[in-house]
Formats: sequence, structure tokens, C-alpha cells
Amino acid sequence: MSAGEPTVVFDAVSRWYGDTVALAEVSFTLGPGVTGMLGHNGAGKSTALKLCAGFARPSAGTVRVLGADLSRDQRAYRDIGIAHDREGLWPHLSAHETVAALARLRGVRDPAAAATRALATVGLTDAAGRRLGGFSHGMRQRVKLAQALAHDPRVLLLDEPLNGLDPAWRRRVVELVRELGEEGRTVLVSSHVLHEVERMAPRVLVLVDGRLVARGTTAGIRDLIDDRPREYRVLSDAPRPLARELLAAGVVDTIALGPGALRVEVSDIHAFARAVAPAARRAGARIERLEPLGEDLESVFRYLQDRARGARR
Amino acid sequence: MLDRTVVSLVSRGILTGRRTIVLALLALLPVIAAVATTMGEAEPGTAWARLVQRLLIPVIVAFVAVVIGAGTVADQRDDGTILYLAATPLRRSTLAACAVLASWTAAMAIIGPSMLLSGVIALGGEVSASGLLWPLAGAALAALAYCAAGVLAAMLVRQPVVAAVLYILLWEGTVATWTPSAEQFSIAAYGRAIAVRGIEPVNAPEVGALAGGVVLIAGAIAATIATARRLTRTELP
Repeated sequence: MSAGEPTVVFDAVSRWYGDTVALAEVSFTLGPGVTGMLGHNGAGKSTALKLCAGFARPSAGTVRVLGADLSRDQRAYRDIGIAHDREGLWPHLSAHETVAALARLRGVRDPAAAATRALATVGLTDAAGRRLGGFSHGMRQRVKLAQALAHDPRVLLLDEPLNGLDPAWRRRVVELVRELGEEGRTVLVSSHVLHEVERMAPRVLVLVDGRLVARGTTAGIRDLIDDRPREYRVLSDAPRPLARELLAAGVVDTIALGPGALRVEVSDIHAFARAVAPAARRAGARIERLEPLGEDLESVFRYLQDRARGARR
Repeated sequence: MLDRTVVSLVSRGILTGRRTIVLALLALLPVIAAVATTMGEAEPGTAWARLVQRLLIPVIVAFVAVVIGAGTVADQRDDGTILYLAATPLRRSTLAACAVLASWTAAMAIIGPSMLLSGVIALGGEVSASGLLWPLAGAALAALAYCAAGVLAAMLVRQPVVAAVLYILLWEGTVATWTPSAEQFSIAAYGRAIAVRGIEPVNAPEVGALAGGVVLIAGAIAATIATARRLTRTELP
């Protein structure tokens, strides 16, 4: 593989299980640096990472990592570090034994020294000799990260690496992932938490229901999300006059009237925020409650999916 | 073809499992049976031959080896450790061969002492090297084939340990042991064919020891190759 070529290539990759489509015609390429893979639970992130890692074969399309199809050619694993989301580690082994054994299998010349370095990187020097069976979830997560780093890989596939970590270690791992990207490694990190991905990755892929619905800079995706139409529920003692005033102010796109409440859709959230109190005064209405609807991540992803569908049409 | 680190990781996983303790207790059964034979009227040589042909190889060896073989890969898939072994530059055939070797080593660590001890007790004053080592050789090769079959089963069925137990109960321990025409489809029969070289020909299979050894080794190799192919094609959890 020559310099400048993408290190990870997904070309029209689909993966289905019976009638269930886990991934549908997903294409992307990755080069050095950190890329976040964002999506709600069940969006296809783990399937995509599994295909990247060579643990599954695509039903259609091709996956190449460092130019190799890992499901057929295992040699490239010398240059790939994987921290998957499964808990499994050998509970009867110490952290050092585990990381050193896996480094040895990946061709590291001095696996003991590599394990010591990797465990120091994730702050487990003091616990290196302890059995993993007695480790907390967060500590095991850090061991998984250490074994992925010990053989100094060029490509890292990290599935939800912040799961189970305490806030201090979340920050440290975010920094570590950023540093790995800055060193020129290709890092693909999956998460369902947008703000975590924002802190780690300058680029992001968004998967919804197995489809790649958005990709680009993390800031760009954030803008898309911020600019999307929002829905609010306004509880008021005089919903009809309030609705009239809001429409007259031109800050809402649609209004649905219900008993004691309005449901409004707005495109410009800032204009709506400025106009809602004066409109209530003019209408002589008292706003009892103003609550956003569809602010959960799934709704955000759904919006991106609908937007992508619209673009395809 | 084999990797010491993988064999060590897999072996330690097997030996620290609860299943192994249960199987080790099961392996005490022939010892108890051997003690019982010393109280009976049968000739020591005949009693030992019966023990080998009817209990040790078709039941104890089969049960211990196939359950350990099936459990090894099933446990790795369940707990996710197989993913760490798969994410290495090792060929899938190496992983399969290491799983078989580690299973066989663990199985023999349970079967070997049980077999030797029960032989010494049953034979008493008539104990001889050939009377112990031929049965042990037959058990070792049968265990190798059973382990390989168990490892392959773990790649093919969802509940490999249950399938292995049913196989032993419904086939090896009953039909194949007592029905001469079924011998050619029984792993235990080939192991018994080797064992009979050193013991009295009680319930002896018709196949020769050399043919038995060749069939068992070839079967183990074929099952290991099939496991490697399956490992390449199967989605890991």
C-alpha cells in the first residue's frame, strides 16, 4: 500500500441478516486522523466496525484495511489495534500478562516492555500485576485500550471506548485518541454521544438504521443539527390568541392547537426565543411551560436521515 | 502451525473453568469401578479389559474430551476472548489447531491419571506396561479425535456442549459400543481397537490397531481443517 492511499476503504458495503438490513450500501474512505462514527444504538456502528475488523464479511461490497481483506488475510493485524465493545478478557490473567500475550501474538519483539508502556499510557501501572477478574468495568476498558495500543498500530478501531470510564478517564482517553490521530494514525471511534465524538474527532460519519446519512467535519454536522427545524410544546392558559400572535410575528413554521397547549415547529430557534415572550404579552396569555420535543439523539439522527433521503430524491 | 502463547491462553482458560472440575470428578468413576472389580470374581485381566472397552474409552474419554473440545471454543465465543485471538496475524488454521491441542492436553490431564490409577487397581499383581500403555494410547488418540470433533461442533451448532453430551449418551456410549455393525462410525471403536493390543480381547472391535490410529489422526486433522474453514467464514460475536 503506497503513501497517500486511504487506509480504510468501505465500498458499497451492505450486510444483512435474513430480512434484517444491518448496513446498506455504505461507502467511505478514511486516512490518517480521527474519524468518529456516530449513531444511535442499533444504527449499524458495531456492524461497520466488525466488518472493518474482519470479524464478519460483507453481504455485498468490499472492505479493505491497509489494502487487505482481513477476513481472508490476517497479516495486516500486525498494524491494526482493535478495542471492541465486548467485555471478554481472560479473568485469570493479570493486565500485564494479557497485554504482553496479545502483543507477542502480534509480532512485538519485546512484548513485556510493550505491555508495560501501554499499561502506563492508560494509567494501569500499579494494577498491572493484578488479575483482570478483580478489575472494575472502567479498568477493563482501559486494558482493552492498552492491548489495542501495545503493538504500535497504524490503524485503530475503537468501539465505544469511553463506556464505563469515570469523568477523569473519559477526558484522558479523549486526549489520548486525539494524540493518536495527530501522530498520523488512522483512528475510527464509534460512539452514540455527539459531544464526546466532537471532542475527539475532527471528522464524523453518521449512521442511521444502517445507512450513512451524513459525513464531514464534526463542526459541519453540528451546524446541520443546530439548524434543523425544532418542535416545541407551549402550555398556556390562552393558546389560541398566543398562536395568532406567534403566526403574526412570523417566527413559527407550523402550529397545532390542542387543549391548553400549542405545538409549534420553528426553523430559527433564536428568533422564536426572542419573539415568544412579547407575543404572549400581546395575546394576554400566560406561558406555563415551554418544552422542546424530539431533542433526543434518535430524533436528531432521524432528521439527518430524512434530510439525506430528501437529498437523494 | 501451532502457537505456544495461544495454547497457553486457551489451556489456562479451560483449566480454570468449573466444567473441568466436574469432568475431573467424573473421571473418578473408573477408579471406583476398578476398586469394585477387585471385590468381584472376574479375572483381573478380564475385568480391566471390560473397564477399558465398556466404560473408559466409550464413556469417560468420549465425554471428557468432546465436552472440553466443544466447551473451549463455545466459551471463547460467549465471553468474547475469541475476538482477541482472531485480531492477530495468526492463520485461522493455527487458532483451530491450538484449540484442539489445548483441549486435548486438558482432557488427557484428566483422563491419563484416572486411567493409569484404575488400571493399577484393577490389574493388581498382573499389572504390566503394555496392559496400561496400549489402553492409554487408544484413549489418547480417541481423545484427540473427540476434541477435534468437539471444537468443530462449537463452530457448527449453538449449544455444542449439549450436542456433545447427547452424542455420547445416544451414540458412543450405547449403540456404537454394543452394536458391532456401528463400529465403523464410532470414534471410540477405533480407540478401543488400539487399546485391545495390550489387554484381553473382550468386546473387541474388528478393526486393527494401525487402522484405528490412522483413522483417528486423519479424523482429527480433517475436523481441525473444517474448523479453520468455518472460523474464516463465520461471523465472530
